[in-house]
Amino acid sequence: MAARDIHGPEAPWKEFQVVGKSHRKIDGMAKATGEAVYADDIQLPGMLHAKTLRSPHAHAKIVSIDTSRALALKGVHAVITGADLPIKYGVIPWTPDETALATDRVRFIGDEVAAVAAIDEDTANAALELIDVEYEVLHAYFDPREALERSEPTIHESRKNNNVSKHVELEFGDVDGAAETADLVVKGEYQFHGSTHGAIEPHCAVAKVSPEGVLTLWSATQISHYVHRALARVLEWEPQKIRVIQPCIGGAFGGKSDPFSLEFCVAKLAEITGRPVKMLWTREEVFYAHRGRHPMQLAYRTSATKDGKITGVDAKILIDGGSYSSFGLVTTYYSGQLLTGPYDFPSYRFNSTRVFTNKPPCGPKRGHGSVQPRFAFECQLDEVAEQLGIDPIEIRRKNFHGEHTQTVNGQRITSSGYMECLDKVERGSAWRERHRQLPTGQGLGVAGSMYISGTNYPIYPNEMPQAGIQLKADRSGLVTVFSGANDIGQGSNSVVRYIVAEELGMDPTDVRVLAADSDLCPVDLGAYSSRVTFMVGNAAVDAARKLRAKLVAAVAEHWEVEEKRVRLIMGRAIDLEDTEKVLSTREAIQLAEAKFDTLGSTGAYNTPTLGGDYRGGTIGASPAYSFTAHIVEAHVDEETGRITVPKVWCAHDCGRALNPRLVAGQIEGSVYMGIAEALMEDHKVNRFGLHSGPSLLDYRMPTAIDTPDIETYIVESVDPEGPYGAKEAGEGPLHSAIPALANAIHDAVGIRLRELPFTPAKVLAALAEKRMSEGAAAGGAAAKAMAKKETH
Amino acid sequence: MRGIELDVNGDRLETAAPDHWTLLEVLRYKLGLTGSKQGCDKGDCGACTVLVDGQPVLSCLTLAAQAVGKEITTVEGLRPMHLQSGGVGADPIQDAFDRCGALQCGFCQPGMMLSARALVAANASPSREEIQKALSGNLCRCTGYTQILEAVETAIAERVGAEAPRPAWVEDREHVREGELEARTPAKEAK
Amino acid sequence: MLRLPKFRLEEPTDVAGAVALMSEHGEDAMIVAGGTDLYPNMKHGLFEPKVVVSLGRIAEMRGIEALADGGLRIGATTTLAEMAQSALVQERAPALAQAASLVAGPQLRTMGTAGGNVMLDTRCQWYNQTHFWRKSLGYCLKKDGTVCHVVAGGRKCVAAASNDTAPTLMTLNASATFANDEGSRDVKIDEMWKADGIWNKEPGRGEILTSLHIPAQSKGHRGAYGKLRDRGSIDYPLFGCAVRLDLDSEGVVEDADVVCVALVARPLRIKKVAETLRGKKVGTESFAEAAKEAADLADTQAKPMDNIPGESLYRRQMVPVYVRRTLQAAAEGKGPVHHV
Repeated sequence: MAARDIHGPEAPWKEFQVVGKSHRKIDGMAKATGEAVYADDIQLPGMLHAKTLRSPHAHAKIVSIDTSRALALKGVHAVITGADLPIKYGVIPWTPDETALATDRVRFIGDEVAAVAAIDEDTANAALELIDVEYEVLHAYFDPREALERSEPTIHESRKNNNVSKHVELEFGDVDGAAETADLVVKGEYQFHGSTHGAIEPHCAVAKVSPEGVLTLWSATQISHYVHRALARVLEWEPQKIRVIQPCIGGAFGGKSDPFSLEFCVAKLAEITGRPVKMLWTREEVFYAHRGRHPMQLAYRTSATKDGKITGVDAKILIDGGSYSSFGLVTTYYSGQLLTGPYDFPSYRFNSTRVFTNKPPCGPKRGHGSVQPRFAFECQLDEVAEQLGIDPIEIRRKNFHGEHTQTVNGQRITSSGYMECLDKVERGSAWRERHRQLPTGQGLGVAGSMYISGTNYPIYPNEMPQAGIQLKADRSGLVTVFSGANDIGQGSNSVVRYIVAEELGMDPTDVRVLAADSDLCPVDLGAYSSRVTFMVGNAAVDAARKLRAKLVAAVAEHWEVEEKRVRLIMGRAIDLEDTEKVLSTREAIQLAEAKFDTLGSTGAYNTPTLGGDYRGGTIGASPAYSFTAHIVEAHVDEETGRITVPKVWCAHDCGRALNPRLVAGQIEGSVYMGIAEALMEDHKVNRFGLHSGPSLLDYRMPTAIDTPDIETYIVESVDPEGPYGAKEAGEGPLHSAIPALANAIHDAVGIRLRELPFTPAKVLAALAEKRMSEGAAAGGAAAKAMAKKETH
Repeated sequence: MRGIELDVNGDRLETAAPDHWTLLEVLRYKLGLTGSKQGCDKGDCGACTVLVDGQPVLSCLTLAAQAVGKEITTVEGLRPMHLQSGGVGADPIQDAFDRCGALQCGFCQPGMMLSARALVAANASPSREEIQKALSGNLCRCTGYTQILEAVETAIAERVGAEAPRPAWVEDREHVREGELEARTPAKEAK
Repeated sequence: MLRLPKFRLEEPTDVAGAVALMSEHGEDAMIVAGGTDLYPNMKHGLFEPKVVVSLGRIAEMRGIEALADGGLRIGATTTLAEMAQSALVQERAPALAQAASLVAGPQLRTMGTAGGNVMLDTRCQWYNQTHFWRKSLGYCLKKDGTVCHVVAGGRKCVAAASNDTAPTLMTLNASATFANDEGSRDVKIDEMWKADGIWNKEPGRGEILTSLHIPAQSKGHRGAYGKLRDRGSIDYPLFGCAVRLDLDSEGVVEDADVVCVALVARPLRIKKVAETLRGKKVGTESFAEAAKEAADLADTQAKPMDNIPGESLYRRQMVPVYVRRTLQAAAEGKGPVHHV
């Protein structure tokens, strides 16, 4: 089947013409001029505005809802409650535990209870105040330990006797045996806090229902296809009567990868009122929608030989899921499954438990499920290196798993440029001259990581392609690409343009891309798990090669030469053996249109069979893995406890950089986001279960002043299965920023911070503790100077 | 409701809005100028930044009525005004943002570009620190600000014919010739 | 998006007109200048005035005037950016210029005004939230409720004065001119505060601050401002301290003053600072020692509470550090003290 073809990493025409160069983005200028249309920019005639009534209680039963006063308000066109949309859904089909509006229970402060459509937002807001809801307040859980230990009340009735969302325990090799025979065992407990995506665009959706009975939904989503499925399920509409369009989207980072309440509400309200309906969430509501990084409590035990070879890793993880499942099943697996590279260790065990609490639901944030364990493990590795007197970069080299290998949990590794990543950051940062040699208060730390380029677990089991592309070419000389992929700013539409232009030897600006419109485009599963460049890119290669064959055949026939003499290059067709023979791409297309009739082609991609032969073995099994190394320089003011990060060096193996500038942008954004959550951001609730500060004032996202200087290196290991060898770049480069920072802080002032975020208060507490344990006489600075001397 | 006349991007536009409508709401929902974005509701993110008499202000905290009689510049005005003044293509700031990859999701960038525009109008050769300060009221979540700073520095450098900044990865990749990159298949590795 | 409540906007073009409007509408009216404090608060449902009286079109209220005696008069609607960038303010009242340069972010400084920062509403994590949030909480003492969530059983609101410029104005011995329906009156900034977070000012809500007067400073005037915050921009102070040093021609301290903010409802002057520093020559070990002692005074007198975001224990640890560093910066003619 064509969909499963692997096209190989080579250039279609010997040398790359488009790929590998820093072309402009397809939508860059539209965004620069303000022309690009985002969901809230859509205004339809007669459009109503909808608002959501939310729960003021963290955990309560709904005794009654009376909407009559709201409905009576002039300008109000419809009010809906959970009774209007009672069918449960969830992005993971095995755990449907959400409803668009609460049916009988609310599970966090901000949970959706009712929705109003009115002539304007002011009227809708006024109507919300007129909805009378009677609650019976229940005990609320804010501490995951309590949720684990206490079973009454349960947050979800479906869980009979507990609040466990998912439990996974897997063991590979003999972990306990490894610990018994090890020369060194390092143990540590770590806490990773919550953080949220903070996309600058708030969620927004617009719906209309045509008289013919077609529902059109425009939504700021990164998973159009799953929204489409969920709408069909919840509204009980046939899917072919629903059209989902993703307009330009103002950032996502995993925060728009669930179906959300507002999408169902605008659809239902449009159906009821016969008018278009828009709902734009406030920033506060975006904080309640959340689906951000799961807080985790992690305990690690790492075993090693005295020459620094890791022999076993043992992890126990408690995951705070918040109020709903979201991607939680996958999160629980990812918390263990994605740690088994870039290092080789013969034994591994993880025991991960995700519990429900009465807080905004957690989900996938950039580096889903694996950022937290990576932090803990890379800190452990630093301690192993320190205790054995081995350079932290050397210990990482020593344990490198190599290329074309298999991990202890059965994952297939193809290309890996991890060693080059280490080399680049080591050189760039002048590590050898500076690590352990900077003045007190300044330090360097290193860490590495691995991440997936998509997974072969397609969320809902099916035999159909995971990614699809359709091409149209006509006599004007234009090639139009219909892509199912969600471009969330990462540039997936640009990438398919580059690929199609490369294959057809065209000027990229003569390739236009129409994307993420379910009426026009083939299905793609969405922008998550760093799957788009790899999977959609391969589908684009597939489709373009089929069209290319037609162009070449038509030109060869016209010139009466063998097909292998025809080359498509820079907007022309040329004869390799006769420089007199030249046609424009337009002419070539016209010849092909005459020969083959109306021109089009489709392309698809599906992963090969991957993963370990055990339950859950396919979750986290990726056709290719990306690799990253970070070195972070940290400065610590020992008097204020404030950490500043003047510079980060990050090298990332993305297989092949289809557009190096876009790759650099992904790396830099990842580094920023990692350092941001490590130092400043904290998504938490207060003692009442209220979000501690649901605004962009109180949730501190760094400004241009607060962001480190980032030095980026692109490593290209050319994967055998990626499109031209490409792998992901958007999530991997976040992971090791955080442990590298922790390790840099240790180098700077000799403290090991195991609890995130690294606030100045924690630094001061750790410094005080260190002084205590060193004894008053020694003093921090002197001790550090000594330690540095000893390691020379 | 009151009738108001706003001077936007060189045009005088008549509209009507209740007193409690902000300039952002009037621009977006009355005048159809949706380039100015709304991110935080209340003055924390900078996405709604427009120029009022050349100064960057937050249109979400400015009443439309309070902007009457002042010259308002939104992102939609930059390219037409550049063309009108004899320029080619887009405004140099817009062009540099595009070329440098500063537009990922693009949502914060209209505000960001207007802050940058105000800076370069006031200071012909700002230092990196001054650029960071001038942009520090505009939150971006995609870029880590790196390519944004590069874009502003590029626009400034090109204005005086100086050399634009070159990030480390550009230098680093110059050693890589595309033809030399080979897939590392198991077979090749074994050789 | 979050909406402003409905109101009528009035834009008088002179102070008399503004006074007349405030007098006419009484408690139904509120004054707005830059709008950077009032409008977010209105979007949060903290105020719902029927009439908003904008000072934006009153030309007489804007501008910085150098007084012949070496003092300054700053019109109340002069923006924070203008104040921060003014060579006059930088020279004659450096701490004020520094504080103005650290208020919020660039756009908010081009909008926010000198008068607005003085008249800033007090802030609290239980108060500066949306109506939904506060309703879910059950409200608080400052607005719509009866319970203080900062001090268990507290009867008096402890929302924090969070205006960066106020403490600098106090160290500069500045005064403010207010216009009201009885004419106008001058109030020393020092004397305008009350220990009540609900309304922490002696002048009434209907009085219009029209200008600030900063008297001529000593020949050897030094001033600096120190600000603790998480980010290098946008944020309100987690702690702020203004310093004035008066040096003789030899660089010996003749007088000194330290005023702190972001603690309780009113800015707080640290007592006995002058006694501690007097007679010490800047740049010497004895000055450094005295600065430490002054910082210790601040440590015992200034006690951050859990009113604004940020751990109060940490903010408390930073009080002596920031006071000492700001004293040092002032002595060296530097500042502001800020982590970036």
